[in-house]
Amino acid sequence: MQLAVNIAVLASIYALICCGYVLIYRVSRVLSLAHGELMMLGAYGLYTTASLFTGHPLLALVAAAALALIAGVAVYLAMMWRMTGESVLAAVLATIALGILLRGAMILVFGTQTQYPLRDLGWSNASVPVFAARISAAGLALVLATATVYAGLFTFLRWTRWGIRMRAAGQHPLLAAQRGIGLHGVYALAWGLATFTGGMAGMLIACDAGLEGTLVIIGLKAFPAALVGGLDSLLGALIGSIVVAAAEVLLIHHVDPLLSDVVPFAVLLAMLAVRPWGLFGTREELDRV
Amino acid sequence: MTPLLRLEKVEVTYHHVITAIQGVTLEVAEGSIVALLGTNGAGKTTTLRAISGFIGLDDARISDGSITYRGQRVDNRPPQRITSLGIALVPERSKVFEGLTVDENLEAAVPRRGARFGKALVYEHFPALAHLRRREAGYLSGGERQMLGIGSALMCAPELLLVDELSLGLAPLAVEELGRALRGIRERLGTSLLVVEQNAHVALDLADYAYVIENGRIVLDGTPERLRAHQDVREFYLGAGGGERRRSYRDVKQYRRSRRWYG
Amino acid sequence: MSGYFRTSYLQDTALLDTRAQKAWFGAFAIALCTYPFLAGPLWLDLGNQVLLASIGAVALMLLTGYAGQISLGHAGLLAAGAFTTGILSKEFGASPWLTLPASAAVGAVLGLIFGLPSLRLRGLYLAVSTLALHFIVIFLGGEYETRRGFSTGIVIEPPIGSARGWYFALLAAAAITLLIALNLLRSRTGRAWRAIHGREAVAEALGISVQRAKLSAFVVSSSLTALAGCLFAYYRGFVSAEAFSLYLTIQYVAMIIIGGMGSILGAVLGTVFVVLFPYAIDGGMALVGLSERLSSVVFAVNYSAFGLVMILFLVFEPQGLVGLWRRVQNWFLLWPFKQGRLLK
Repeated sequence: MQLAVNIAVLASIYALICCGYVLIYRVSRVLSLAHGELMMLGAYGLYTTASLFTGHPLLALVAAAALALIAGVAVYLAMMWRMTGESVLAAVLATIALGILLRGAMILVFGTQTQYPLRDLGWSNASVPVFAARISAAGLALVLATATVYAGLFTFLRWTRWGIRMRAAGQHPLLAAQRGIGLHGVYALAWGLATFTGGMAGMLIACDAGLEGTLVIIGLKAFPAALVGGLDSLLGALIGSIVVAAAEVLLIHHVDPLLSDVVPFAVLLAMLAVRPWGLFGTREELDRV
Repeated sequence: MTPLLRLEKVEVTYHHVITAIQGVTLEVAEGSIVALLGTNGAGKTTTLRAISGFIGLDDARISDGSITYRGQRVDNRPPQRITSLGIALVPERSKVFEGLTVDENLEAAVPRRGARFGKALVYEHFPALAHLRRREAGYLSGGERQMLGIGSALMCAPELLLVDELSLGLAPLAVEELGRALRGIRERLGTSLLVVEQNAHVALDLADYAYVIENGRIVLDGTPERLRAHQDVREFYLGAGGGERRRSYRDVKQYRRSRRWYG
Repeated sequence: MSGYFRTSYLQDTALLDTRAQKAWFGAFAIALCTYPFLAGPLWLDLGNQVLLASIGAVALMLLTGYAGQISLGHAGLLAAGAFTTGILSKEFGASPWLTLPASAAVGAVLGLIFGLPSLRLRGLYLAVSTLALHFIVIFLGGEYETRRGFSTGIVIEPPIGSARGWYFALLAAAAITLLIALNLLRSRTGRAWRAIHGREAVAEALGISVQRAKLSAFVVSSSLTALAGCLFAYYRGFVSAEAFSLYLTIQYVAMIIIGGMGSILGAVLGTVFVVLFPYAIDGGMALVGLSERLSSVVFAVNYSAFGLVMILFLVFEPQGLVGLWRRVQNWFLLWPFKQGRLLK
């Protein structure tokens, strides 16, 4: 039972990060490999607001979330919009370079010590009993946050006008522009939402286990989950995260704890060999270079 | 009376070296339906692209001439700007969002600021679509797709609607219906239309005024009556006129045609 | 360009045809050979690093720049060569005469494995599969280290002692690599690679076996890379899995992008730029007086600066240094006419 709880928490982490990958890919056909670093940026954002607004933890949280959203939009407006004409490889490399830049900048600004934003917020990470197992408060928050975010995103994309426009822009950018949909606006929104959800994941992980440099690796490990599910499907991201998280937790428990870093990639390879476009992705994506 | 849209000696070049259209001059009067008639490769789609602003793809540019809309220059402006001024384009291929339903396709279009346009109006003009609201656009037939394409362009509340290849791939009955719908749109909404067509019968039946384009240049223009009476149009575009074998305009040497015009 | 015509096959296939080119090359070769005697120890080490990195960069350029197969697994292949060398020399006391071909062979086999996904996948998905393979290779290397108790890494005896000796050995290796690359590119194989980069369907229609071309690109490139890894292991005298991170792959990718894709000259220029870059940053910081304050986080400064420069190149100069070089060349060639809107 404890295993199931662990899987749920890990899957939530991966799912929150993945919806960022999926959003950006679905809307603008760019694979953003800077997501791990953006996640960490969100966590550091919380650390900053927690130190700034000591005594007002809710305000700090809200401010940090807003910062993450703005950061995403800023990244698009500063850099990624220029890559919209270029080849996909160039855009991906640009995101990798951005990740490197951000990582260096974060170390320069914040140093390399481990931080504990939860302490700064004034809250404690109590352990909550769930059926026969235990889950930390932050872990519970993660699961709830993931559920809320996904429900919100599904509703937004299916039922609201701008959600429909975002889907349209992802399917056929030229036609969308011809119908008056501002592509730059849509892409900036996608980046903002993606950074917001990734930042949220980063913040919650930092509350759970502390904020340190290895946070970035989690972002990279979430990436196979997005691919397993299908890069342009939110539902796929959810299912893919569960699959990868389950594989990781079970293999760590039954075989070897050191496997944790490599399991997601092994699952990814297996998926690529069998069904490259993922469980729920659309098949045609393969031919884009 | 100033025309709604005026092209003045427009020249479009691809990759800086290939001239697609040259010296194209045409007008669309307010509230009229104008047809641009020509065969494959004549330059019709290029002309429409130049007007709608989607000329930057394929590395093309308007290298000479001007396009004026309501007195404002719109050549080489960004496409969103042109759409916001009131010009909407129904492209030749891929005119719908395949993964979205018919309803969603209509919702996706962004109406021009200040103009209110409801889906109900579109369903009035295209009643066949009303039964298909929840159908994914990828599963529509050719005629239905064309209707949806025009309908979603209408959702932008344009004053000028550009339609590329109205009848391509459609059954004659479907084309008739479309023609009726377009005339209805012109009557009720006052939208002007510039329709590109390969099929001369369809073009001349629908339009108030027509231009014939060949090899990137306008060679003829006039009312449908005048064009129907014109010998060249009859021979090359309507398939009527003297001779057992139907010839293409490319087969007949230019000087002989000029002689026919002058002599 | 001017009135230089080729009148025989020998002339056509020659690497250096005009008298002027041969003269320039001769001068360059002399400069290269006298460099180690004129340069100080830091500059000599830099030269060695550039030569060593250029082998890997040329290999990657062949795969990604010419054959168009995106690979993010470069560090994994370097690691494979290094670990083969480490394992063979530590466990079996093998000499370089054995480890060098062994590394190349391991590289070739791995190249086959890395290349298999390319038969089904393209672009993004191919890059991701090579990334996954990279992590698996690194994991295996790390596992070996921990199982055999080399927790800090494997120490190897370098066969060459002096930096100057290394310089000439590496110069020879780099020259041979360049020769192999240039000749391969002018052969059938090279043309097949360029064809599949352009349009696979058309290449297939022309009778080129796309599968064979892709796999051969991977095998050749990986083999060369593993060789570079072997030399790397000997040069450092030390093999450890942490040295072969994703960042190393990105540095090599940066070399071919900053240098300019699709050009061997680009690979070399890019290598020089990327290897010298951290030292330039250090020098710059010293000039500005920041070096003491930021000494503890100098690697972070390098990181940020590297990321920034890469972004700038990707956004503003996608054709890389070679593109810049060609524009300068054109300016001189066309003077006093202006470049204007030249066809690309």
